[in-house]
Amino acid sequence: MLRYLIFRLLQSAALLFGILVLVFMMVRVTGDPVSLLISREATNEQREAFSALYGFDRPLHEQFLRYMGNLLQGDLDQSQSLGLPNLDLILQRLPATIELAFGSLILALSVAVPLGIASGMYRNSLLDLLARTLGLAGQTIPSYWLAMILILVFAVNLNLLPSFGRDGFRSLILPAVALALAQTGQLVRLIRASVIEVKQENYIRTAHAKGLSARTISWNHILPNVLVPLISVVGVQFTYLLGGSVYIETVFSWPGLGSLLNTAINGSDFALVQAITIFLATFVIAVNFLTDLLYTWADPRIRYN
Amino acid sequence: MLRRLVLIAVLLLSVGITASAQDSGPTGELVVALPNDPTSLFPPRGADITAGNAARPLYNSLVRLTAENELEPELALSWEISEDGTAYTFVLREGVVFHNGEPFNADSVVATWTYSADPSNDYAQDFAKVTAVEVIDEYTVRMVTAAPDPIFLTQLATGWSMLPPAYMDEVGIEGFEQAPIGTGPFRFVERIAGDRIVMEANPDYWEEGRPGVASLTFRIISDPTTRLAAIQTGEVDIVNRLSADLVTVLEGNDDVEIISYANDRVYYVAFKNVGNGVGTPLEDVRVRQALNLAVNRQGIIDAIFGGQAALVTGFVMPTNLGYDDSIEPYAYNPEEAQALLAEAGYAEGFSISMGCPTDAYLNINEVCLAIQRDLSAIGVDVTVEFKTSNSFWSQPQYGAVGPMYVDSWSTNLGEAINRLQGALIPGNYYTGWEDDDLVALIREIETTVDREARAELYRDLQRMMYDNPPFIYLYQPFAFEAVRSTVEGYAPLPNEGYDLSVVTNAE
Repeated sequence: MLRYLIFRLLQSAALLFGILVLVFMMVRVTGDPVSLLISREATNEQREAFSALYGFDRPLHEQFLRYMGNLLQGDLDQSQSLGLPNLDLILQRLPATIELAFGSLILALSVAVPLGIASGMYRNSLLDLLARTLGLAGQTIPSYWLAMILILVFAVNLNLLPSFGRDGFRSLILPAVALALAQTGQLVRLIRASVIEVKQENYIRTAHAKGLSARTISWNHILPNVLVPLISVVGVQFTYLLGGSVYIETVFSWPGLGSLLNTAINGSDFALVQAITIFLATFVIAVNFLTDLLYTWADPRIRYN
Repeated sequence: MLRRLVLIAVLLLSVGITASAQDSGPTGELVVALPNDPTSLFPPRGADITAGNAARPLYNSLVRLTAENELEPELALSWEISEDGTAYTFVLREGVVFHNGEPFNADSVVATWTYSADPSNDYAQDFAKVTAVEVIDEYTVRMVTAAPDPIFLTQLATGWSMLPPAYMDEVGIEGFEQAPIGTGPFRFVERIAGDRIVMEANPDYWEEGRPGVASLTFRIISDPTTRLAAIQTGEVDIVNRLSADLVTVLEGNDDVEIISYANDRVYYVAFKNVGNGVGTPLEDVRVRQALNLAVNRQGIIDAIFGGQAALVTGFVMPTNLGYDDSIEPYAYNPEEAQALLAEAGYAEGFSISMGCPTDAYLNINEVCLAIQRDLSAIGVDVTVEFKTSNSFWSQPQYGAVGPMYVDSWSTNLGEAINRLQGALIPGNYYTGWEDDDLVALIREIETTVDREARAELYRDLQRMMYDNPPFIYLYQPFAFEAVRSTVEGYAPLPNEGYDLSVVTNAE
């Protein structure tokens, strides 16, 4: 187990380094950011001073080494457009993003788990039809379209919910729903398929044969076995919710990391784009790591060696 | 009538409830959408017009601009300009206090200069051109510029926000950005990054009758469709940066009023006679005139902007100082263009490349392609080089593109001097065209303090830039905004700036 842990940690570090190099190069491929960051009326001296301040005048490898050096000391650099430490900016916005991610994950799970199980248990029933429709809708409806329709219907026409911003629970509903639909669709399909698969297993037939009640079979034999694939998917989905909410946060003016990333990209703020990407990548790697550990708890048959 | 009845009712009610109620100050609240989160509320670091708009309610300057672009006293009661045009003596208003109780006086002007000219600020150059600020007595101050500077007072009005010296010394610029303090009609309450900026009426404000509301909140809404939804639901009272097609949704909505006006921003195709422009047909004036005649600008405005833009005749906009309305835009006349090309020795046309900053401006890709099509009709074969904005502007003198390129330039001074200097003075980063006659005239404008004389020079310049054009002048886009019908007194300027101190909301 310990060897496995060390191996995974090293693997994660290598992965993170790869991401670092990739992000660093990718933002620079887009060109020189100075013209976009500085006032158009700035003098040539000011342009040079600005360039030197953020090291844009140095050769690429030197910029990278400086960046890596800072990073190893836990310094995520300063935002070039806002002039504040990137880490402060990220931590400022993180609670809003986590709130939205949890909100939509809880929503997705609370709809998908009962519906997925019910539709797997009672195939071809009305519930099953509903579940399959939702599964299909979740995978085909683009979230940006849904977001606009939700705003139009629930904010503009019905005037029931706020159209934007982060103002307590009511304002969480629309962005959470917009973000949760795709997750819900995927989860319903997965749980349904898993339930159907587990139901056909020999041990379930045995359980029926020895006269256990349907309820006991569901709770003690089917559900625990459905749980294992669910854990990995939920782990992946949570990380997706953190990083993938850029559009939803922007549409709903949700002051989280996604809208910050959007601002950073539009403003060619290389340092901030890098910082957010690294932060999210670290988070994703950490969640995946934890997910793998959770497996052993959920399924005692899984052992890491 | 209804409004008056409501007012009387409210008055009677308030008298009834609190018999001793005197002037209870402004009432109501105003919520204004911002299209992006301001970089800073410390004005010398507020990088764009949105940051300026968000910071303005907190501050005053010594002078201010009226809606007609005229200067009027604000914290200065009067001012005198020295004979040689380099020293300005201001008599300051007495009895004005900052939001933290510090008195406003000549020391505040000195501190404002010192802190604003700090090299770490985006706009340090605007303050660094003042070489000295001298305290004559508590309420008299003299500012000295290195050379006569006609736009100094305009910049003083738009950029110099008076700062409290003791507070600045205590917290520094970074601390100030977290909790800004001025003498303005509103006081800072809180800021939540990416979400909102909250202000309240300053009860000690020196100017009678301002502000018009008790609380002012800016909400950051970067998506135009969401801004549209928010004005429909009434969650916000004022939104800007809508587009022509979005506002059609608001037509017939009695709760919302649409405002549209021409932006102080010119779009153009530039010619280069430096770098890769040397030795090209563009050096011949007849070719440049021909290209101006060959582009169907009205067609572009109608087809791409749904008619929601105005033709322009040069770099001086109708709202700018010294605009010459006797100049007509170049007509669309491909036959005459072809004749001019033939005269210049290019009867068979020529091939040339034109840079286009992909998606940097509204519909700009379509505009570039329309120009390519129009010019091909007179035999000029244009290769459009689409570049992302980072690479488009990455080299001095547009070294990454050209010898032709499409760009635009706005200004917030009420006159065209910035974009003229920026695009035409040799050695500047964005200068791709060098013409000694134009340079001499721009230099003269730079040092002519007298407004009327300067206006005259601008008129000469427009004629010169029309006859010997360094650009194909394209269009000036319309800005679209919307306000709730309960809002009164909102009047945005051509640069999208606004003054909220006089706005009321009867909600």
